[in-house]
This record gives sequence, structure tokens and C-alpha cells, in this order.
Amino acid sequence: MRKNRPLFVVLCTLFFNMAYAQTKTVTGTVTDTKSGVVLSGVTVTVKNSDLSTVTNSDGKFSFQVPTKASSLIFSNIGYGNAEAKIGNGPIAIKLSTSVSELTEVIVVGYGTKIKRDVTGSISKVGAKELNNTPVTSFESAIQGRAAGVFVSQQNGKLGQGINVRIRGSASVTAGNEPLYVIDGIPLQNSDLSSNGSSTNSFTDINTNDIESIEILKDASAAAIYGSRGSNGVVLITTKKGKAGKSKIEFGYFTGTQKPTGKREFLNSKEYVDYFIQAAAGAATQDSINGYYATVADALVDELDFVNSRLTRYSAGNTDWQTQKVNTNWQDQAFQDAPVSQYDINLSGGNEKTTFYLGGQYFDQTGIILRNSLKRYSARLNLDHKVKDWLSVGINLNFVRSLNKRISNDNAFSTPLQIVALSPITPLIDPRTGLTSGALNLATGSPNTNYPLYYNPILSAENTRYNTLVNRTIGNVYGNVNITKGLVFRTEFGIDQLNQNEDQYAGRLTARNQGVANGSGFNSSDQILNFNTNNFLKYTADINDKHSFDILAGTSFQKLQSLTNSASAEEFASDSYKKLSGGASKTAATSSASDWVLLSYFARANYKYKDRYLLSASGRYDGSSRFGANNRFGFFPAVSAGWIISDESFLQNTKWLNFLKLKASYGLTGNSEISNYASRGLFGPNPYGGLGGQVPVQLPNPDLKWESTASSDLGLEASIINRRITVEVDVYQRKTKDLLLSVNVPSTTGFLSKIQNIGKLENKGVEVTINTENVITKNFRWSTSLNFAANKNRITDLGGQQIGTLNRAMEGEPLGVFYAKEFAGADPANGDALYIKNTVLANGGKDRGTTNNVNEAEDVRIGNPNPDFLYGMRNTFTYKSFDLDVLLQGVYGNEIFNGGGQYMSASGSNGFDNQTRDQLNAWKKPGDITQVPEARLFYANGTDNSSRFISDGSYLRVKAVTFGYNLSPKLLAKLKIDKARVYFRAQNLFTITNYQGWDPEVNADYQATNINQGVDFYSAPQLKTIVFGINIGL
Amino acid sequence: MKNKLFNIVLLVAAAGIASCTKELNTKPYSQIDQGNALNTSSDVEGLLVGSYADLGAADLYGGGAFVTPDLLGDFNEITWSGTYQGMTQIKNKAIPIDNGFVERTWTGGYRAINDVNNVLSALGVVTQAKKNKVEGEAKFIRASVYFDLVRLFAKAWNDGDPANNDGVPIKLTPTKELAGAADQIPRAKVAAVYTQIITDLMDAETKLPSSNGFFATKYSAAGMLARVYLQQGDYAKARDAADRVISSGKFKLTQANADGIIEEFLYTRAKTEDNTTEDVFAVQVTTTSGINNFQTFYSELGRGDISINNEHYDLYDPSDLRLNLINGDGYSAKFDNVYGNVHIIRLAEMYLIRAEANSRLGTSVGASSDDDVNIIRNRAGLDSLVDVTIDDILNERKIELSFEGFNLHDIKRLAVSTGYFTGGGGLPFNSPKLIFPIPKRDIIVNPNLTQNEGY
Repeated sequence: MRKNRPLFVVLCTLFFNMAYAQTKTVTGTVTDTKSGVVLSGVTVTVKNSDLSTVTNSDGKFSFQVPTKASSLIFSNIGYGNAEAKIGNGPIAIKLSTSVSELTEVIVVGYGTKIKRDVTGSISKVGAKELNNTPVTSFESAIQGRAAGVFVSQQNGKLGQGINVRIRGSASVTAGNEPLYVIDGIPLQNSDLSSNGSSTNSFTDINTNDIESIEILKDASAAAIYGSRGSNGVVLITTKKGKAGKSKIEFGYFTGTQKPTGKREFLNSKEYVDYFIQAAAGAATQDSINGYYATVADALVDELDFVNSRLTRYSAGNTDWQTQKVNTNWQDQAFQDAPVSQYDINLSGGNEKTTFYLGGQYFDQTGIILRNSLKRYSARLNLDHKVKDWLSVGINLNFVRSLNKRISNDNAFSTPLQIVALSPITPLIDPRTGLTSGALNLATGSPNTNYPLYYNPILSAENTRYNTLVNRTIGNVYGNVNITKGLVFRTEFGIDQLNQNEDQYAGRLTARNQGVANGSGFNSSDQILNFNTNNFLKYTADINDKHSFDILAGTSFQKLQSLTNSASAEEFASDSYKKLSGGASKTAATSSASDWVLLSYFARANYKYKDRYLLSASGRYDGSSRFGANNRFGFFPAVSAGWIISDESFLQNTKWLNFLKLKASYGLTGNSEISNYASRGLFGPNPYGGLGGQVPVQLPNPDLKWESTASSDLGLEASIINRRITVEVDVYQRKTKDLLLSVNVPSTTGFLSKIQNIGKLENKGVEVTINTENVITKNFRWSTSLNFAANKNRITDLGGQQIGTLNRAMEGEPLGVFYAKEFAGADPANGDALYIKNTVLANGGKDRGTTNNVNEAEDVRIGNPNPDFLYGMRNTFTYKSFDLDVLLQGVYGNEIFNGGGQYMSASGSNGFDNQTRDQLNAWKKPGDITQVPEARLFYANGTDNSSRFISDGSYLRVKAVTFGYNLSPKLLAKLKIDKARVYFRAQNLFTITNYQGWDPEVNADYQATNINQGVDFYSAPQLKTIVFGINIGL
Repeated sequence: MKNKLFNIVLLVAAAGIASCTKELNTKPYSQIDQGNALNTSSDVEGLLVGSYADLGAADLYGGGAFVTPDLLGDFNEITWSGTYQGMTQIKNKAIPIDNGFVERTWTGGYRAINDVNNVLSALGVVTQAKKNKVEGEAKFIRASVYFDLVRLFAKAWNDGDPANNDGVPIKLTPTKELAGAADQIPRAKVAAVYTQIITDLMDAETKLPSSNGFFATKYSAAGMLARVYLQQGDYAKARDAADRVISSGKFKLTQANADGIIEEFLYTRAKTEDNTTEDVFAVQVTTTSGINNFQTFYSELGRGDISINNEHYDLYDPSDLRLNLINGDGYSAKFDNVYGNVHIIRLAEMYLIRAEANSRLGTSVGASSDDDVNIIRNRAGLDSLVDVTIDDILNERKIELSFEGFNLHDIKRLAVSTGYFTGGGGLPFNSPKLIFPIPKRDIIVNPNLTQNEGY
């Protein structure tokens, strides 16, 4: 294309000379409806063109418009749009921060629309809701604020994985995360973590740079992103400068964070008594098994064993007999966790140039030992009008973040696994004066069997795991007005990410690492995500009755990643932490991967008489991930809207201000599988120092797009002077040709193959209600309520089922829990009982019980998907005070405690400290209890069963802000524009029946589309309270 | 003007198509297409090397396929105190059909089998001089895996009629693509599996060289044959195969060092080691590849999940140097090197097989059973015995090969109960609980598979 540019520019220039030969001057003033204050920086656009100007510091504008131009559109951030006819005199127009959201500008794919004209389903969260939220990444800030958007953080570790599901899960084994687009450029969302738990790459985005987030939920909104629209699209728009007075804004908050919840464990006395009881239980079994002639004989040995172990765990002494030591290990896993954030941003500009310059330093200490995150972010958004017909701009964001991470939930070194240690074990080993486990005097090395497990504190003190990210996200654009109504836009963007993970585990971690003299690991990733969009937009109005806008263009995206990593052991001392210090290099690897997406897209919107809306779009996508046979896919969508309230028969219905019906249908795709999934591959497999290779993947040349057909029916209404607005959507999304990792018979030498097999569906309803409850001069109260119910069901998996505990299986929602149905303790002997649930000849189920777990069938014991999600926000303003309370909840989901087999296992699976509910264990014949007899190492009821399932519903006071804005009088005195102080709390408190740490959980090491709702020593969420201040100059 | 506009649109579109469509043809960097993988002799030899790596998977010959039967066959010699529930289930002989350890032994086994089936199907491109060696190694690997699968997942040879008992599916061709119903292979009978194993091993013994670095040799195949025949109770053939290994003179027992540690199990520091003079076949572990799963579970320097009970100590003579291989905390010290090779066939086993077979048959092929037992005893610092009985030999075998994966299989071939060596009791040799279940994942995807009794 470069070759042809001169010709192109000549052509363009030519058109302009023709198009704008005849002009006239229009002038006017813009003021705020309520205060009457003049508004500077308001964008004034000639309707159906890109010709625009902005108001000056007096709120005035003056510019040349074509003589044919009929009206102007006024838009300003924080205000509703307004339209004025061009008459003969100056235009005086008032803008209001009106309750009517209908004139609100909504960002859609490759453009914007006013909300009134939107026929798709789009949720918007604005800067006001997002800014200054004390969270690590922006997804947490939208939690509870948008109907049908399920945000769930895996645990309370900083910068860790977050799952976002828009209208349910559309895929079983391909990706289920939405597509994220920032200022028109798709963000890469690779998980580059090396420690078995995912990180969230959006930790790199400064929430305070965001102007708005639009979530495209239905096919008509998302189909313009075609192949990646099935999981919804999240459009992030960053802040722009405004012409007029330049501004400086300074923001700061600081506060503390605490875990949202804790679990209750046995104290020393209870622990000792419990395991003596468990020895007796084991002795009975020893005798039944014939290892001993009598129970008494067995008990002698069992007690000997338990006594010796208690002595071992009590630092080799008999203090356990007197419970002299009573350590609350859980408390040791947490640390003081301050958080602060410093923001400064400058913005301003004139008619030709506007800029926004934002900088942030975010410093967060995690609630979990050794966890912290620091982020430095700088952004420049610059827009310049080169000529009347050409505007260009750049958005550039540089981020550096340092995350001091901790192990995944399944590692002995993860701080919360500390709860397994015995309360009789002292923090400091009296024999050495050092942290328990640090030194065995007999060997001079760290202890190998004291305390019970590896002490995670040793990792906290002797490990580093630093994840350093340098990321540049930016794009440049050019906008060319070719002729009236016809605009060409070109965008070129990159998302470039370099990540380094640097780990060193010192000598005292030997028991965990398995090596004595230190081990180090280092990895580097380079990702370059390159994207260009080129499209033409044409808008036209015919006789003020028909209005069109048409869009057509191409997009090209290429994502290249380069990775290398190495590890070493045998360090001279812990002072040497880089691999150069390790004598034995134990691993080194490098790899690369490319992915390319080539797309053609088009969209047409048609509006008749301003009340009949029609829209059609299509995208033709080609992905390098598929075989040549099925590389391209076509994703069309249509939608229609009818603004009934504009019809004459409703003109006189006073209470009804607005009523729109809308419907859409479309196809979207999903290709979120590994880059080379369709190929038959061999891969390296070295042995004994020699290079080797083996087959690693079966071919599937017919692999094609997973596609989702969605239909949506919606209604938007506002009544009683727009005091109440209601939006209701019902939808159905049917996914077919699932990109399914299908199990194959292992006699083939392979475990699975990605194939287009299976179908699933999501259907649901979303309701959003906004009300202005009280509007008086001094007091204002408004409420926003959102509710979404989604029902997910897999309809076809080709007869297979995937997963053991969490399953994908036909007729069930994705991730449903299947295991034995637990029936408590056998009153006769304390055996764990399970309901057989075997199918009888008459088709019924055998509800009899068995103590043989293999005799019981797996049945559905729970569902990790909530029945519904809801959020409610109340805002109150009284004079200069404001209060904003957001409640957020999920209902109807279950959580499986994966750690239950150790921590709530009747002491029958080792010496792990037990949760207090285990005190109810069966003790003597006749006892009726849900907790089977304590039997040391006899695994009494530790198999996966409903014993470890609990209700995961919760209602959370998600965010509370109480603020005070300094009065204009005082501000004038201080010579500042704006000053605000506030308290803000996040996750203030949670109402739930869940007995674990926190009900918002999914153990990081095992989290997949299917594996949801499992708790495994997962860190609780953060309860944060900050004090903040904002000053505007 | 319309015409010109149209040109612009075309320009934009053409720029996109011309420059980008080709870009869709991406190629993998770290892996290669299967069509390019087996074109040359060195490609196939590379695949053979990779097959050893798959043979050495954690739950196969990395040690898992031997640790699990030790747990399953145990009556009261060891205490399991680990947190892997799958292992707890095996120790408790209450194995759900989705047990991960059981599943990985099965799936890993067939993965290695598919690797060597690929090797065998591509022998055509192997250099003539290496063809026999490559074929022999591939068949050694295939036979070894089938032997362990049929021992773990099917009734013992001497439990009923092996010609009627279900063994494991036999697959002798590589999988290049999915074949639908043809992939749903039913279980072959136990006898058929043994026949396949013996055919492969005999072929391997013939074709393999007598020296082959740390890879399988003629004697690795003979050693494995001795083990297979012993399992069948075919003592004459077991004796002869063991004798071929011993009398080759290629191997020598290691001796105890000044600290009384038998050097086969000597551990100084975590580092890669060579095969010892005693190793007839060992899976290689280096700092960069392979895993020693014996170390993981038995060693106190690993997870230290298995400790040794008095019932086991009581089997030893107090002056037995092999007591030095149990450390002060009661853990086996046989596997303390995290990078130590996994000893699969040791010369000591060959002596014990020859001794047992000679004794049972009343022969003295190679040496008398007294001599064979005493060479093992003397190394352990024990006095020689005269007129050894079968029990003497079995006790010696029990101690010498303890925790190396022999316990369950010996109990089965001897048709005794799991407590036989420690005073009786326990499960009978043919208890269905002493056989692994066929993994659930395969039962689901292959309707032709039958499940074992009791699952």
C-alpha cells in the first residue's frame, strides 16, 4: 500500500477541494443546563460528517461548515449529547448531565453510536465507577456493575488469574475469555506464568486511564469481531484531552487490606486428643485386617506411633502432652498489607490538538506472605487535526510492573498450606532458635521430616519469585474525510510485552525443592501483537428520513511470541541468585510461536424516520490455526429496533418517555486453541543426554471454527419523566462444532485430540433498572440494579465426558460436580457411608448405603455455575457529601473443598490439622454424625464426595465510597478547581454460608473452563479500606 | 468520482489480501510436522531415543510402575504417610477406577508402545548396519511395557487359565491418525500377551548387540526374558536366560564401601551418574531429563512418603549391610540421589533367578544355587550358607530386591498371601484387589474394553 500513497493523497485532496467549495460560518455558546456555567472543550460536529471543532474557554465556538449542513451535534464527556439545527443566528445550547442515558455515546466495534440507536446488547461502565477503585486490575472494578458479566477472581494473590464470563461459557475446551480491545487494538491475553498458576495480563492496565468500558454481549454487537466474538467483546476506551483550559489532576489513596475471611482449625489440646482418638480408630481397623491378634495389641503400636510423631512435631520434646505450645499457623500466612496509589494527569488542548498525559504509581502489598505488586504506568493520548480533512492521533501506554509472586495453591510452599501444620509445633524450633524446619542439628541441613510438612515460612524468607513486565500498548491512527459522509480510517497498533520471571529458592527450601544447594529459574517472554485496521465509513441522510451508515474494511493481526527459560542448581551460597551462580544447569529451553488472523468486515446501519432501526454486519476471518481446508469462516449478524414511543399512537402517553424493542440474530466464532492444534506433530524428548523425538499430537486437517448462533430480544423503556429506566434482554446462544479436546483410546498412544464435536447452549435473561428515587436541591438518591440469570447446558459431547470431579457431560452445565453422595458415618461402626445410587432394574436408584466407595455411583453433587448474578448500586448525594454503595452477589453455585480430604478428613489422611467441624467425629456405636470415625491413615471418607461440597452463594458489600467535595467558595480561595476527599472500601463484608476462606474462589493450579469452584488452600480475597484525595488544578 | 472511490476501496482491499493471505501459512517452531519426522535413519534413531524417555515416564519405568505394586502388595512392612490420595488408595487396596497413578501407568505404557511401533514401522529408512540394533531395542521396550501392563492390569499367569483370562489390548502398529472403531481394541488374553512379549524379547535378544552404551543390550533382553519366564513358573527357561546374562561376563556385582554401603546404592550428591557394573538395564536420569520416582516416594530427601515398619526390619540379620540402606528415620536409602538412574534389571536379580530355578529343578546350570545365593549374601557382609532351601533363596530375594517393585509379582507367582514373608495373613495372591482396574477414561472411550473383577 505504501507505494500508492502519493496517488491516494492526491485523490483525497482533490475530493476535498470539490466537497468544501462552499461554506458558511456558524457560531454559538454551550452552557451547563443546571448551573448555567459555560462549557469549554465541548465537541461540536456537523451531523453526518467528521467535520468538528471544540468550544473555547468561554464556551464559544465558531467554524466553517458546508452550506448544505443542517444541524450540529454537541458532545462532551459526562454530558448527554445534544443536537441543534443550524439557523441564521448564533446557536445557544445547554448540555445536561441528564438522567436520560439515551443520548449517551456508546463505543461499538470500529465506531460509536448513541445509545438510542443501539440495536445490540451492550453494557457500559464509565470512568466514574472505575476510577480510584483500589484493585489490581480493571476487571475487578466492573464486578457487579454490568448485567450478565460474571467476574470471578481465582484467589487473593495479586495479579492472579481472573475469569470473566459474558452470558455464560460458550466453549468446553477452547477459550472462554472475552476479547479485549483497547482503543481499537485487540490486546493479547497470554498467560506467561511459569509456576502453574495463571497471571492476569491486564494488571498492566491503569484503571484510571480508562474513560469507559463497553461490553458487547450479543451477536449483533460482537459479530463485527467475528471469529472472536463468541465470548463477548470488552472495548476499553482511554481518556482524551479536551480543548480549553489545561488541567492538572492529582489523585492519591492509601489504606490497608485484610483477608475477607479465615477458617477455624483445632488448637493444641484438641489436636493431640484428636490424633490419640485417631490412633484408637486405626487400631480397631488393624485388628479387623488381621495385622494384630487383638485391638489392644494394635493400640499399643498405634499409640507408640502417634506419640513418636507428636513428639517429632513438637520439636522433639514432650511439650505436646501439656499443650505448652499452641501455634495459630493460619495467622502466620498473612501479613500487613498496605496499598497506595499515586496518580497525576494533565490534559487540555485547543481546536487543533488535544492531549491527555497520565501517570501512575501503584504500590500494593498482598495479604499473603511475600506477595506484592508495584506498577508504574505512563500514557500519552494525543490527537491532532492536521487539515480540515485529516486528523491523526496516537495513544501510547508504557507500563512496568513488578509482581513478587508466590507458589501455586497446590505447592507445599504456598503460604496458606501452612494451616496443615500441627498447632503443637512451635514457630521457632527451641533446639536451634531458628524457624521450625530450618535446621536439623544432626545433619546440619534443613529438617526433612519436621514440621509435619515443609514450612512455607521458609519459602517466604528464602525464595524470590519476581515477575517483571515491561509493556507498551499503543496505536496511531489517521482519519481522512474523503468527501461528505465518507471517511477513511487507518489504525496501526502494537501490544508489545516483555516479561521476565526470576526465581531463586535458597538452601533452607531444600525439603520443598528437593535439592540441597539452591535452585534458580529464569524465563523471558517476548510477545509482539501487531494489528492494523483499515476501513471506510460512509454516512448519509436522505430527506431527513433515511439515514445510513456503512462500514467496510480489513484487519490483520499477527501475534508472535518468543520464549526461553533456564534453570540451575548447586549455588555457592544464597547470595548468588542468578543462574550464573549455579554450577549445574538443569534445564534450558527456547520456543517460538506465531498466530495470524486476517479479516474482512462490513456493517450497515439504516434508520428510517428516526425510529425504525436496522443493522447488518458480517466478518470473514481466516486463522492460521486451522487447516487449509477450513481456514476461513463467515460470521454474519442482523438486528432491528423499533422506537415505539415515537409512534403517534403513543405520543400522548405522558408517563412513557421512551420505549424501544430490539431483536438480533447472528453467528460468532471461537478459535482460542493452541496455535498448531490442527497438525500432526512430533516434538523433542531427550533421554540420557541425547536428543530424542516422539509423536506428540495427532493431525486433524478438517479442524474448523467453533461457532455460536445467538438470538437476543430486548426492551428499553423509560417512564415517569425518565425517573425509571428499564432494560430487559432475553437471549439464547447455541454453540456448535465445539473445539473439543476429545479423549481417544490410549492404545493409540495419545490421550486426546481437538475435534469439532459437540454442542452447548446458554440461555438467560438480564434486567437492568435505574431509578432516580429522590431529586431535591440538596439531596439526591439513585439506584441501579442489575440481575442476570444464565442457564448453561451441554447438549452434545459425542457421548464422552471430560473430567473427574468437575465434568463436561451431556445434559449438564459445564463444570458440574460429579462424585459420590456422602451419607455420613455408619452409626454402628463409624465407617464413612456413601449412597449407592446404582440404577435398579425398575429404573430407580438404589438409595441404600455402602462403605465401599467403589460400590457407589458418581452422581451430580453440585454445580459451580451460579443460577443468577446481581448487583445493586445506591448513590446518595447530600450537599457536598456523597455516598456510593455497591452490593454484588451470586446465587445458587456450589464450592468443592479440594483440601477437605486433608483438612476435614477425620484425621484419617495424615497428621494435618483439622477444621473444627471434625470434632464431631463418630466415637461410639449409636453416634449419629456426618463425620466418620477418626482413623489415622485409614482414609475414612476422604474420597471425592458431597462431604466436601457446600453452598457458594454470597452477597458482598463490594464497594462503598463516602466522599466530600470542597465547596466552590473554598476552592476559589485555595485557587484550585476541584478537591475531594473520600473513604473507599472494597469487599467490606460478605454474607455467605460458605465455611471456607472466601466463596469467590477457584484453586489456581487446576483452573480450566471445566474446573471451576474448587477451593484448595486458596488465598481469600482482599478486604480493602483506603483514604483518598483528588485535587484538580 | 464514483469510479475513483471504487479504486480506493480496491486499493485498500488489495493491499490487505496480497500481503496477508500468505501470512496465514504459519509453521511450528519447536515441533515438526509428522510427515517430516521420520525421513532419515537418524530421525528414526532419534525417535528410539525419545521412546526410552517415554519408557522412563514417572509412572512407568521412571519408577511408578514398581512403587505402586509395592504398595498394593504390601501387608504390613511399610507405612504410607503421603498426601497423594491416589497412592493412599493403592496402599489401602481400595482403588477407584479413575485413580490417576493407575491411569498414567496405563496411558504412559501405550504411549511408549506407540513410539516404538513408529520406530518399527520406519525401519526401512534405518541404515543397514543399525537396523537390527534399532529393531531389537524397540522390541525390548515394547515387550517390557506389555509385561508390566499385563502383570498389573490382568490376572496373574498362574491364576486360572491364562488362555481365557483377559490381558491387555495388543497394538503393534503406529497411530498416524484416528481410525474410529478400529481404535477400540479389545483386551487380548493373558497368554496371547505373554506370547507377544516372549516373541519380542527373543527377537530382541537375537538382534541386539552385546554392548550398547546405556541402551538395551542382548543381555537386557535376556534379563527381561528371565523375569518373564520366572513369572510364568517356567524355571528352566528362566534359569537359562539368567545364565546367559551372568555367564556373558559383562556385568559384575558392586561391593560395599568402607562405610558398609553397597555401591549400587551409594549416594554422595545430587548428580547424574553412569550405569554401574551391576546394571543390566537402567533408565537414565540426568539433571535435564528423566525422573526417579523411587526417589520421590521412598527417599527422605524426596517426599519421604513411605517409611519402613519393624515387620520388615525383622527379616534382616542384624549384621546385614543392607540394613545400612534403611536410614535412622526409617526410610529406605536405596534411592537418595534425585538424579540417580532407575535400576531396572540388576545382576543380583539374575543370580537369584538362577539360584531359585536351579534349586527347584535340582540342577546347577552355571553355578550351584548355594554359590549364587552366597555371592549375594557375602556382598552384604553375611556368612555363606550351605544347602540353601527354596525359602532361603526367597528370603534372600525378598531382602535384596526389597522396594524395587518385586513384592506383588513374587507373591502372585508363588501363590501366597501378601503377609507370607512376615508371618502370614493378608490377601490371597488371586484377590481381585491385587489387580489394577482398567482406567475409567478408556472404559468410556473404548466400549470393547472389559473391566476387571471387583471394579
